[in-house]
Amino acid sequence: MRRAAQLTELAGPAALVLGAALVGMAVSSSTETYFVDTLVKVSIVVALYVFIGNSGVLSFGHVSFVALGAWTAGVLSVPASEKPAIMPNLAGFLRDTTVGNVPSLALAALAGSVLALLVGLPLMRLSGLAAGIATFAVLEIVHNVLRYYDKIGPGLNTFSSVPETTGLWQAAIGALIAVALAFAYQRSRFGRQLRAAREDPAAASAAGISVYRQRLVAFVLSGALAGFAGGLYVHLLPLNTEALYLDLTFVTLAMLVVGGSTSLLGAVVGALAVSGLDSLLAAAENGIDVFGAHLDLPAGTRVIVVGALMAIVLIARPGGLTGGRELRLPPRRRRAEAPTATESA
Amino acid sequence: MSRSFEGVEALRDVSLELRRGEVVGLIGPNGAGKSTLVNILSGFDRPTRGQVLLEGRDVTRWPAHRRGRHGLARTFQHSHAFRALSVRENVEVAALGVGVSPREAARRADELLELLGLADEADLPAAALAHGDERRLGVARALATDPRFVLLDEPAAGLPEAEVPELAAAVRSVRDDHGAGVLLIDHNMALIMEVCDRIHVLDQGETLAEGAPEEIRGNLDVAAAYLGESAVREEEE
Repeated sequence: MRRAAQLTELAGPAALVLGAALVGMAVSSSTETYFVDTLVKVSIVVALYVFIGNSGVLSFGHVSFVALGAWTAGVLSVPASEKPAIMPNLAGFLRDTTVGNVPSLALAALAGSVLALLVGLPLMRLSGLAAGIATFAVLEIVHNVLRYYDKIGPGLNTFSSVPETTGLWQAAIGALIAVALAFAYQRSRFGRQLRAAREDPAAASAAGISVYRQRLVAFVLSGALAGFAGGLYVHLLPLNTEALYLDLTFVTLAMLVVGGSTSLLGAVVGALAVSGLDSLLAAAENGIDVFGAHLDLPAGTRVIVVGALMAIVLIARPGGLTGGRELRLPPRRRRAEAPTATESA
Repeated sequence: MSRSFEGVEALRDVSLELRRGEVVGLIGPNGAGKSTLVNILSGFDRPTRGQVLLEGRDVTRWPAHRRGRHGLARTFQHSHAFRALSVRENVEVAALGVGVSPREAARRADELLELLGLADEADLPAAALAHGDERRLGVARALATDPRFVLLDEPAAGLPEAEVPELAAAVRSVRDDHGAGVLLIDHNMALIMEVCDRIHVLDQGETLAEGAPEEIRGNLDVAAAYLGESAVREEEE
């Protein structure tokens, strides 16, 4: 019974991901791109959720793990013959090594987790505002290293020539992997201890829980998922450091907040809802026809709308669209003395 | 041990020993230093002078969670429930915190919720609990760590008088069935007198008296500190 109740927690987000993939199959190939992009965003937001949602500690730094994952998968999958053209200063080992699609994603996850571990060891002692600012510093540092250190990637150039393996299926399977791992983590003893620490750090310590260690575990897993999502992303479209910086940080955090940051369902709902809106507005900035009316919005509209939406949700519904709750079967109450209508009928 | 806050001494040369299998009462008026003492014992504060020994080991510099893992549990004066978690999860996670398996944690939770009369509320979020239930949840959570020593910080505060005997029974069960040592801080003198093997009285950061309940009851100094001047005068008349 309890196991079944737990599985509905997984079924909700997984069904949403599959639903998005199926709709993506049905639409035209130009619209399909939006669905693939959305599913990659789901992976990024789920990665954010694993740390932020379970710990209650804000991180502005996760896109640096996405970026490092994208760099790792990108550098290792550009065909060796094309590397000198876009990455002339690449270090020898990276220049000579080329791996396939799946290994590149695994290595992206590994890179994300290693960076998260290095950064987390000192930073997981912080909470609240200090944690937010410090993780923002991480974003800045990693951004500048990737941008100007061209021995490990294209530097200021755009990552062209990466095989475009992230189609609808790869994006959907990737998102499902992220959802499944996030689910397994939050039901594990580690996830449960961290959620207790989120509710009350002092009481958690009194129960023997090392808040620092539990945050670090979540941060490393979250870094691995973010790196993995970065790998998916670089296999979708040619990226540069600007695409993996402030805008992406903002929009993915908005997705988490709008959906409801304390539930996996919220992370997925937020990613889908805001992505849908964002894609529609992005298209409208270029002029589209919606239900017969021509819509042509000025550039910048989408960020304004998404920002306003996030503010409105924070004010009117602080728990997000899902209220920060998982999909659950309605609780069965003990009704020894009051049989229900169906039982007596 | 002693503890000062910016020059003000909250505790002055207080020495307290708690053995397994006994209940020690810690009483004194507000501001006597009871909470400071509990915080130092449980690792949420450090003494300015002196040390904390746990089964002979110097744990003065250990963080709270490490003491928790070595058999020292505590409850809090104010609600510290994990509010978004269910009542059952609150108890389970406390057991997970000291490293037991999820299966064993679930078993302990079922047992403790039954013992403390919370079985019917097991699936409610802790935020929905009434005050008295919340106090009992705190005790259940402390016991879920299977502690050798438990510090109960005002477990009867705000509890309806009718529920106090149940709490007294739970405290005795911790001592007798689990063999743990209990430090019981409370203002409910009837409870203290009933369940404690020894009583330690603090006043203005100093030990005022220490002894068996009968000795303490007879000590007028304690009455003066604890019940106030008027009570003493009434007794004298």
